[in-house]
Amino acid sequence: MLEVADRSVSHDENSATTSGGSPIAMNAINRWVPHDIVMRDSWFPVAHNYSVTGKPVRRAVYSNPIFLWRDNGVVVASEFHPNERIARDKSEYTDVRGRYPVMEHYGVVWVWFGNPLAADPVHLPSLPFLPPKGGLPRHMTSTVRFECSAPISLENLIDLTHADFLHADVVGDERSDSETVETYYDSETVTMIRTCVNKSVAPVMKFFSGIKQPTQNVRQVIRIYLRSHCAIAYGRFTPGDDVPLFHPCTPETRDRTRMEMVMNTSNAGLMFRHVMPKAGYKVSRQDSYMTSPQSPRYMRHTDRKDLHSKFDQAGQRYRMAMMELADRQAKGDFAYRDNVSADCSDIIGLRKELFQF
Amino acid sequence: MSLDSDLWWAVARSEEVTSEKPLSVDIGDQPVVLWRDNQGIARALEDRCPHRRAPLSLGCIRDNGWIQCGYHGWSYDGESGRLKEIPNMKDQQKFPPIYKANAFGVSEQGGFVRVCLNPKAEAPLRADPKYTYCGTVNVSCSHQEYLNALYDDPNLIISIRGVRFSSYLMSELHEEGGLLVMERNCQWHPLHWPSHFVAEFPLTLLTRTHPLTGETQLTLRDEQFNELLHAVLSPVPSARGVTAVRWRAELGVRHPGLRGAVLRGINPLSVLSSVDGTKLRVTKPTVSLHGEDLRNAMLEGSPVTNDQTVAA
Repeated sequence: MLEVADRSVSHDENSATTSGGSPIAMNAINRWVPHDIVMRDSWFPVAHNYSVTGKPVRRAVYSNPIFLWRDNGVVVASEFHPNERIARDKSEYTDVRGRYPVMEHYGVVWVWFGNPLAADPVHLPSLPFLPPKGGLPRHMTSTVRFECSAPISLENLIDLTHADFLHADVVGDERSDSETVETYYDSETVTMIRTCVNKSVAPVMKFFSGIKQPTQNVRQVIRIYLRSHCAIAYGRFTPGDDVPLFHPCTPETRDRTRMEMVMNTSNAGLMFRHVMPKAGYKVSRQDSYMTSPQSPRYMRHTDRKDLHSKFDQAGQRYRMAMMELADRQAKGDFAYRDNVSADCSDIIGLRKELFQF
Repeated sequence: MSLDSDLWWAVARSEEVTSEKPLSVDIGDQPVVLWRDNQGIARALEDRCPHRRAPLSLGCIRDNGWIQCGYHGWSYDGESGRLKEIPNMKDQQKFPPIYKANAFGVSEQGGFVRVCLNPKAEAPLRADPKYTYCGTVNVSCSHQEYLNALYDDPNLIISIRGVRFSSYLMSELHEEGGLLVMERNCQWHPLHWPSHFVAEFPLTLLTRTHPLTGETQLTLRDEQFNELLHAVLSPVPSARGVTAVRWRAELGVRHPGLRGAVLRGINPLSVLSSVDGTKLRVTKPTVSLHGEDLRNAMLEGSPVTNDQTVAA
């Protein structure tokens, strides 16, 4: 059940909080070490479905090798390459043949990382703006890499104030008449909703959607599925188009992240439909400019606490939720206490009339 | 690498520090960001935004002289390091004192910007000579090994146009006024009698080195005691075992003849950007061993004060 983070996590430095797991001290949240967090028993998106053919391609989750290929059209995910001379024991994450549980959904290949017997499609994150069987044009997809740990990338995403500053030339600056931020969470997700009234129009919309007004109302939702390290970024712009983005941050290694991005711009005008998915190449480099030097600074414990403002509430909640879940898993509890596959259309404010499959 | 926090390190030449773009330097393991505020005063903070640890050197300098983090736009005052503004919270002008980046002491004299990790340390007064030649190199060599190379064979790290450093000393390394001082015999180059058969050397190189920072004043003199070249060399330990070297030099009295003319050609002093490892490995440690003994004796005796730092 979603809870509302109505009390800023920043005000009470010494209190602990719990969401079914162990209490996490506020001090620990402000000194977190995301490189130490390894999530198990989760579906991780590892490839666009068109990338997997008869010839094996290689992926990784937390440095565990995953070889993908199709056998009579069906995806196979193995920890061994078919040509590999096996000189090591198979891992605990695969079945007796060294195969990971694998499924295709939303046009993406997902691999279960964890106890293979616990794999269940019911734990696949809800992405209601993507066709369940895939099929979106390839220009709406891309692969982007980040030189930082996956939680750093997700924390970057859930704190949208950085976008006004770092991506001002794409999404617009911070000027608006009013701005509110709400944060909701349960044991498996954190959702941030930012509502701006009369915000400066995003340059990419000005040029490619033909918006002539100087301002627009914006509702931006970031929903993070903690275990999968996936995020939804759903932006509704008025005037403008809805821009739903699937933003996975798959931890290939503990300090390198792979994003198999899908942005469904089917309902936008021709130019915007083609250009907006490409904005990810520019925006990701802008993010990497900061997260790349930032990430090594989070690899070791430090006594210095990060500072925060009221805009960091969602990010703080994300840290807390990740640490609680990691703590629970470290104690051997991998159970899902909330249903990640439940339709989240209402939570993200999806306009269902635009996305019917 | 743990360094004495009261030392003043010449981490930049004055012209490298501007109000256009922040400059990233290191003092040992401590990243430092330098810039000039709107009054032209050089400022130094830790190169780390206390919000989310992004390097402040990737940010920008605002018109009011504050440095602004490039990630979320938090802006800091250069003198105190206090947070002054957060975008989207411009109605809030005051933040708790803990909201700050660590500020360091800054002193600018003689064409160098020096930084002390202790913001309360008093900077020593220095003269302010003019230097025509200058440069910055980053050498993949530890700070102490760099100084050892200077002591044992300066050919490894510098060259003076038309001059060759011999392996013979006029005065071995000794302590003088809190500095480590030595004088090395030199010859004109390329045509010269082999140094091991020379009765009189035409040149000497006098070096005066701070025992801890390694900041060194070099003076090239001829046999008439004319000072032909002055230089200041400032090696600073930096990240990943690199030594950052800032230097300035000025020609002095003109030595008569062709050799003096050669010395006064373009760039009389070169500070090398790399040390030849093959030569370094077989360089005999002699002066550097004296240096180690002297440093230890000085540290056990009276402390080296900032008044004894080198550069003019």
